[in-house]
Amino acid sequence: MVEYAWLAPLLPLVGYVFLLALGRRAPEGLVAGISVILTFLSFLVSLAVFTALGSHPDATGAYTFRWLTLGTHSIDVGFQVTHLNALMLLVVSAVSTLVFLFSVGYMHKDERFSVFYQYLNLFVFSMMALVISPNLFQLYIFWEMVGLCSYLLIGFWYFKPEAALAAKKSFIVTRLGDVGLFIGIILLFLSSGSFDYSTVFQAATSGHLGLPWISSAHLTTLAAILVFTGAVGKSAQFPLHIWLPDAMEGPTPVSALIHAATMVAAGVYLVARTYPLFEASGVALTVVAWIGGITALLGALIALTQRDIKRVIAYSTISQLGYMMMGLGVGAYAYGMFHLFTHAFFKALLFLAAGSVIHAVDTQDLFEMGGLGKKMRITQWTFLFGALALAGVFPWAGFWSKDSIINATLQSGHIVLFWFAEIAAFCTAFYIFRVYFLTFHGKPKDEAKYAHAHEGSWVMTVPLIILAIMAFIAGFFNTGLNNYGLEKYLMADSPTGLIGHVYPDNVALMIASVALALLGILVAALMYWKPVISAEKLAQSLGGIYRLSFRKFYLDEIYYRLIVWTGKLIASIVDFFDRYILDAIVWLLGRAGYMGGVGLKYTQTGQVQTYSVIALFGLMILVAIAMFHVGGVF
Amino acid sequence: MALNSPVFPIPTGSLLALGALLFCIGLFGALTRRNLIIVLVSIELMLNAANINLVTFSRLGVNPSLAGQVFSLFTITVAAAEIAVGLALLLAIFRLRKSSEVHDLNVHKW
Amino acid sequence: MNFVWNGPMIAFYIIALGVLGAAVLMLSVRKVVYMALSIGGVFIGAAAIYILLGAEFVAVAQILIYVGAITILMLFAIMLTNHKAEEPPFQWTGRNIFAAVGSVLMAVVLLAVIRSTAWPVQPADVHLNAGNSNPVAIGLVMFKQYAFPFELVSLVLIVGLVGAVILAQERKEDE
Repeated sequence: MVEYAWLAPLLPLVGYVFLLALGRRAPEGLVAGISVILTFLSFLVSLAVFTALGSHPDATGAYTFRWLTLGTHSIDVGFQVTHLNALMLLVVSAVSTLVFLFSVGYMHKDERFSVFYQYLNLFVFSMMALVISPNLFQLYIFWEMVGLCSYLLIGFWYFKPEAALAAKKSFIVTRLGDVGLFIGIILLFLSSGSFDYSTVFQAATSGHLGLPWISSAHLTTLAAILVFTGAVGKSAQFPLHIWLPDAMEGPTPVSALIHAATMVAAGVYLVARTYPLFEASGVALTVVAWIGGITALLGALIALTQRDIKRVIAYSTISQLGYMMMGLGVGAYAYGMFHLFTHAFFKALLFLAAGSVIHAVDTQDLFEMGGLGKKMRITQWTFLFGALALAGVFPWAGFWSKDSIINATLQSGHIVLFWFAEIAAFCTAFYIFRVYFLTFHGKPKDEAKYAHAHEGSWVMTVPLIILAIMAFIAGFFNTGLNNYGLEKYLMADSPTGLIGHVYPDNVALMIASVALALLGILVAALMYWKPVISAEKLAQSLGGIYRLSFRKFYLDEIYYRLIVWTGKLIASIVDFFDRYILDAIVWLLGRAGYMGGVGLKYTQTGQVQTYSVIALFGLMILVAIAMFHVGGVF
Repeated sequence: MALNSPVFPIPTGSLLALGALLFCIGLFGALTRRNLIIVLVSIELMLNAANINLVTFSRLGVNPSLAGQVFSLFTITVAAAEIAVGLALLLAIFRLRKSSEVHDLNVHKW
Repeated sequence: MNFVWNGPMIAFYIIALGVLGAAVLMLSVRKVVYMALSIGGVFIGAAAIYILLGAEFVAVAQILIYVGAITILMLFAIMLTNHKAEEPPFQWTGRNIFAAVGSVLMAVVLLAVIRSTAWPVQPADVHLNAGNSNPVAIGLVMFKQYAFPFELVSLVLIVGLVGAVILAQERKEDE
């Protein structure tokens, strides 16, 4: 089965081409039907690959052919299936299928329904192809393609200026990371002579990377950090996280699929995929851990005070991605991926549920909702499942994966990061239940909006229910119930222990974490459900800290001042030079040409005979010159 | 001037001078006349002048041969084709512009 | 060079004067129709000169094509267009002055060159036709030595013919 893994990305590509051929006026039912069926088939292929690898752990392998030979080097293309890849395939195809189904309802009657599905198909293709790329070169190609799809989909409603701006912002900010990734890949290629993962890893672990100007150890660290830069951009890690909240301008299914479950996880996947490289350089791993930890905390803190439902979840995504990075950074490779796995489901669930709410009340402002639970039972309950999973309440999925990471952080001796993680976990429980209570409980704040709120059709609720089930059970894939199947599955990629460690469960920590989560929920309930504590008063008494969180730690503003103003200063100097010096020269030249043209224009009388007379005179002049030279005529 | 046999009676220079004058008259006509037909005719005149030269050299050139006459026949053929196309153009232009004056053919004027 | 006044020479000068006179007449008459007739005179005169030069076939071709076809075609064209068209009186506009000066200069230069060149003198009994009559000789040369140019020129003629038909066709969109 493994050798048929290429079918998984191919099917959405077929869908894309097919939809392209159908054109943008294709009927909704046909478009959605083709897309959903093809992605579902893709999901079945992924599932088959995943299970095939489970029963035959050694069946992993690369299937490539030579694409380009450059002197002594060569570039292969093809696909590779490892346990990690198989897991990612499964996650991507599963979430995609559900989101495709959900979008049928959400995007109903959108003018560019077909285009939306084209983009989505293209994205799913790119993402899966990225996942099964056998080398860094191919990975980079699809890396840029998912970036492009993300850009297209964020800017899907391009007629909204915010959406167009957000699309640009996400593209440019991730581009910063991509440049780093690109340099990193080139460095690795230059020093190891190959784009292949295994070749690069071998060179890195045996200390054969070096270039003339840098030692192997330093180059490994440098390349790993550069590769991580790409991951930082894509996975919205601090300090390049600022694009993700703005990306919420896109349609909500896009947020669920791309900006929660799959594409942003590509950064985590990249770090996991190149993990031996990070392992070979301890420094890089530490950087990953710290960036992850800071992001986890920062995201959680900012999410506390946001008013926009999608932005809260977006910051939550940033925070959870931070957890994954931190997990990878402290050496808990399997747990980072485990969290990616569970997070994909419950975060997609939260986004889709939020999408269901937005679809119903047509606003994203939390303080215009309220009391929706009575009207939207399924959405409420599924959202609750997602929230519990995110908060890390036993026995929902998030609990198992997040707790594994926190446990690994503690066990590996990163005490500061451990506290970051715990504080973030408390905040997580608080902010997600703040959203839950504000949305589904209490009194409706906007009666008009409340009045026309209603549950979506089955295409919207079925994905929610499936995801809710997954949000509940996904965690059990890596517990004693399952004999820690997932981590064994993942660790099978490298039997030599090149990819981190696993730790035994720590029951005391589990209880503490759940208690912390419940405390967070309790505080949220006291503030927004049964208002014992006044949120406004608390915000006022906290003053500066509240504002700091609400204004997202002023990071956008700081970037604006630092980068944009510097850029503007340089630009204005260049602009002056360009406008008043270069342009003046060019203007003069142009003017001279223009004036010459205007002058010569009048010679174009359109009278053939005039031209002929002039030609005759030219001839006479030539004859005169010739006669003076030859002489002897007269 | 002692020659073994009687020379060709007409002097070469006179023949060429006739061609040259005819050519210049044709040139003047082509450059100054207003009517498109006269311009075409003048061009024919110039071609005829060239023909006279060709035939003259065929008889009186350094190496007398029939080549000059053959060439003038070709010129006549080409002139026939030219005048046919020219007059057809004239007709088409006249239909379009109701005029056969060179002065009115100023589509390319600035 | 001393002139020996003989028959052909006298004939040549008379004909040459006639040709030049007809050419000048052509440029001086006002009516386009007269002009077309006077050009016929030029063509006939040229044919006579060809006969004097022993090019009988060219002379006949000249009369057939120029006088018989082109002049008549021209008359047709004049009839089909503006047959009452009159050339306006010559005006000494700037362009016309320049044209006159250029033409006269050209004539002066050409005549000077002709005069200053020592032209070869050929005997009266050069036999170009190699014993055949002139048309036979021309035919032999044409179809042996110049067969390829001959075919090409026939192609030019056919293209000119078809092109003329297409150009002169009345088209709907013209109206």
